[in-house]
Amino acid sequence: MKPNNDRPDLDYDVMIVGAGVAGMETAASLGDMGYRVLLVEKHSSIGGKSILLSKVFPTLDCASCIVTPKMAAAAHHPNITPMVFTEVDEIGRNDDGTFKVDLHRKASYVDFDACTGCGQCEVDCTVSVPDEYNYNLVGRRVAHIPFPQAVPKKALIQRRGQAPCTHTCPAGVKPSGFVSLVRAGKYAEAFHMHLADAPLVGSLSRACYAPCEGECSRSDTDGTVHIRAVKRYMVDRYYAEYPEPEYGPVETQRDSRVAIVGSGPGGLTAAFHLARQGHQVTIFEAEPYAGGMLRHGMPRYRMPKEVLDRDILNITALGVKIHTGEKVNSVAELKAMGFDATFVSVGNQVPRIIPLEGRDLPDFEMQDCMSFLRDTNVSDELPDIAGQHMVVLGGGNVALDVARTAIRMDAASVSILCLEPREKMPAHEWEVTEADEEGVQIFAGGSTKRIFTDDAGKPRIEFLKVANLEFTEDGKMKGFATEAGTEQSIPADLVVLAIGLGPSTKPFEDELTLAATGTIKVNAQTLQTSDPTVFAGGDAVLGPSIIVEAMGQGRRAAFYMDRLLRGEALDVPFGDELDVTDKQDVMDEIAEWDLRPQATLPVRPPRERIQSFECYEGVFSETEARTEANRCLNCAQCSQCQECVRVCPADCIDFSMKPEPMQLKVGTVVMSTGYEIMDPSNKELLGFGRLPDVISGPQMDRLLAPTRPFNAVLRPSDGKEPESIAIVLCNGSRDHTVCNPLCCRIGCMYSIKHAQLVMGALPLADVTIYTIDVRAFGKGYEEFYEQSKGMGVEYVKGKVSRIDPLENGNLSLHYEDMLGEGGLQTREHDMVVLTVGFLPNTEPFALYKGSELEADDFQYVREIDPVSEPARTNIEGLFAAGTVNGVRDIPDTVLHAGAAAAQAASYIQGLGGA
Amino acid sequence: MSMLKSKPRDMLAIVQDEMIMTDRIAALITQEPRTIPELAALLEAPTYEINVWLAAMRRYGSVEAVGRADVDGYFKYELAAEAPESEGQE
Repeated sequence: MKPNNDRPDLDYDVMIVGAGVAGMETAASLGDMGYRVLLVEKHSSIGGKSILLSKVFPTLDCASCIVTPKMAAAAHHPNITPMVFTEVDEIGRNDDGTFKVDLHRKASYVDFDACTGCGQCEVDCTVSVPDEYNYNLVGRRVAHIPFPQAVPKKALIQRRGQAPCTHTCPAGVKPSGFVSLVRAGKYAEAFHMHLADAPLVGSLSRACYAPCEGECSRSDTDGTVHIRAVKRYMVDRYYAEYPEPEYGPVETQRDSRVAIVGSGPGGLTAAFHLARQGHQVTIFEAEPYAGGMLRHGMPRYRMPKEVLDRDILNITALGVKIHTGEKVNSVAELKAMGFDATFVSVGNQVPRIIPLEGRDLPDFEMQDCMSFLRDTNVSDELPDIAGQHMVVLGGGNVALDVARTAIRMDAASVSILCLEPREKMPAHEWEVTEADEEGVQIFAGGSTKRIFTDDAGKPRIEFLKVANLEFTEDGKMKGFATEAGTEQSIPADLVVLAIGLGPSTKPFEDELTLAATGTIKVNAQTLQTSDPTVFAGGDAVLGPSIIVEAMGQGRRAAFYMDRLLRGEALDVPFGDELDVTDKQDVMDEIAEWDLRPQATLPVRPPRERIQSFECYEGVFSETEARTEANRCLNCAQCSQCQECVRVCPADCIDFSMKPEPMQLKVGTVVMSTGYEIMDPSNKELLGFGRLPDVISGPQMDRLLAPTRPFNAVLRPSDGKEPESIAIVLCNGSRDHTVCNPLCCRIGCMYSIKHAQLVMGALPLADVTIYTIDVRAFGKGYEEFYEQSKGMGVEYVKGKVSRIDPLENGNLSLHYEDMLGEGGLQTREHDMVVLTVGFLPNTEPFALYKGSELEADDFQYVREIDPVSEPARTNIEGLFAAGTVNGVRDIPDTVLHAGAAAAQAASYIQGLGGA
Repeated sequence: MSMLKSKPRDMLAIVQDEMIMTDRIAALITQEPRTIPELAALLEAPTYEINVWLAAMRRYGSVEAVGRADVDGYFKYELAAEAPESEGQE
């Protein structure tokens, strides 16, 4: 009879939580009986802690040879469903004696069905973290296969949210990723990774205000990672090597035609992403040159035009056509030309003009900021303002750009006059400071009254002190008053108005719905306008914004335009990102790290830099760039550098993977969640964590395992083969100082195993075991003990109290000699192994909801009658197998698992049919 | 040779430097095999940390130990026959 035929309402007859030796054994027994078993394991491999052992005592069989067959049996049994990387959230008992279980499969970001376990992702991953499977003796990569014998042997990617820098970039650039690639010396990969998100890599490396840096976790300690400077090194190196893009149009071209109005950062970005999808893209630009504000509005000392030209090649290489000097006057015109969709990104370049008394005086000139910047940025000859006194009205970044441009053009004086006090000027503080250094005079908190001519016939600007400036909650200026009698004046042959820019959307006012401010109204999600085939973004929608915001809109619009052109629904989310990493988690990790202050870029002195329009900011050297990149704290663990995606031959990396919640009904539950290993750093005087050559028993097992972290049994401090090894028993077991009075039952044989294996690996090494007594209670244990003595292992009956470092790199071990000469003794060793105690795993108590799952006096799950009904807990139908009840060696665990299987089977039979 | 006189750095901090330090180690053992103390002296880094970085290089196939340990108990390490090339040019 197949018991599972009796209860078709059950998803599984049995759920076993924990797939160590006990879990696997119980599963195999129940599976053999014909029950449908769900074997849940929170790690990505079954096998528990035993598979990490070197050999087992007293037979010295290879642990893999003992455990791997059990792993294979559990993984391939027709009645067992292993569910790894899955957490049980809650277990409750139903009235009919069955159990309801809430659990979730964690996101591994790897399609386990497709992953072949080749490990290539691990090789190319650029982030390392401590390797818990080697008990932190060494590191492992964030993309990793836990250990060589893992079942299933699948990679997974360790993520902790999304890095704050990456989370904050409006353009969707992943600074954490390209910074990590630069750290690894993978510069071309870094460039391509950035390019895939945002094509204007060079421009951003020069002119981005880098909101990512503002969010960098490191800014709370020793200064933000200088992400933009790292990018600058990366892109300068790449462009020097590749003056032309390495690629051409994508292979699959589509018939759909897209018009983009405006070639600013938003338009260029939309064009890039649409062309990568194979659409036929044409950009219409009213000005003679492409680039929008990057070309016309940004001074050359910050935005070299040859860098912008190279950036634009990234887009045109895909087949995008740019028609300059062609102004689009209506959407209808584009539709008539046969375009299927349009992206309007005309920018925000209409200057605000204010009436100014005296503006018509002779020898006085007034300009708007865009005209001034356009003339200086794209004209063959610079406007001649030599010897003139120039005043810029406004306190924003554009005003600063105008003033700093003018100071490089031999003006007699350049002044900024703005309403705001200096500390509230909208421009970035660093830019105001640099302008100040360059000789721009800043008259903050002044309101223009008039232009007048002085006694010498020279024009001057008169202004009043602003007495009361009011701001809205979001920091925008609401209104102001002036203080009578505070008039002062300065020479002003030329005044440039930089008091705001409006959207250049007038040509579309009859076709698209505009806001009162003139910006285009769009669906906030899709950026679709009132005309379904027309999308809009950048400053034309946002008003004045920064480059990355405009680029982000271009990318978003391209995503939805692509869907529209393919005939797909637009009601899907854009982007699929995790929540931002909690910075406190990062800060806690680095609390004891040494500070590494930010590297500063060389900057030319002010007097020198105003002599030309050349960039005054230097570039990192390769060493500086990598060192600065290495300051990145890998906040999210995975940097999203995409190297795993790039190299995976099975194309199985999936960053969009989400946790999968499940709710199941099972007949019975077996808890086999195992035990915990005591952290020996609790025994401070023994030096674990402080002295690298004081290691724990589990670490020694890893050193002895065939898949060991080093090439031989080496001491961690310097990679030397140890000559004299001490093994110290009972650290944290039989030990009231750590509240654990229990004998661990394993330590003596475990240590003798270590001693024998060390003597095999290092025949010349001396091994001394410090013990209170040796407990050899099991079958073959006494013989195992005697065998070790015969091999030359020295036993010292004595309690070790302290371990100190010696000048020669060895360790001084202080102990109380109980049998020999007595008293306090000291011996020198070059490596010490602390055999640690084991602790209960208290997870099961939190999982079971309803009545209380009872613990014994030592916080292990209580067996209500260990003699006559082993594995039974106080919850009817919920059983506990293996070390979750108390520490056992492997043979005892297997026996106990058999008992648990019998109990569970009996319970299921008792449930009867549904 | 850099003996550890103080508490070693946190393992996370050590492995954080792996991407840079493994390239530097690779550059030093390109011409001749070297021991951990030799590498530590050349890189002015603790032997403990060199050992961790070498373990990573060995794990990912770029380095291998040469023969047996010397009389002082140290192995020499060399680039593996088919070591993946580092792109860093430092």
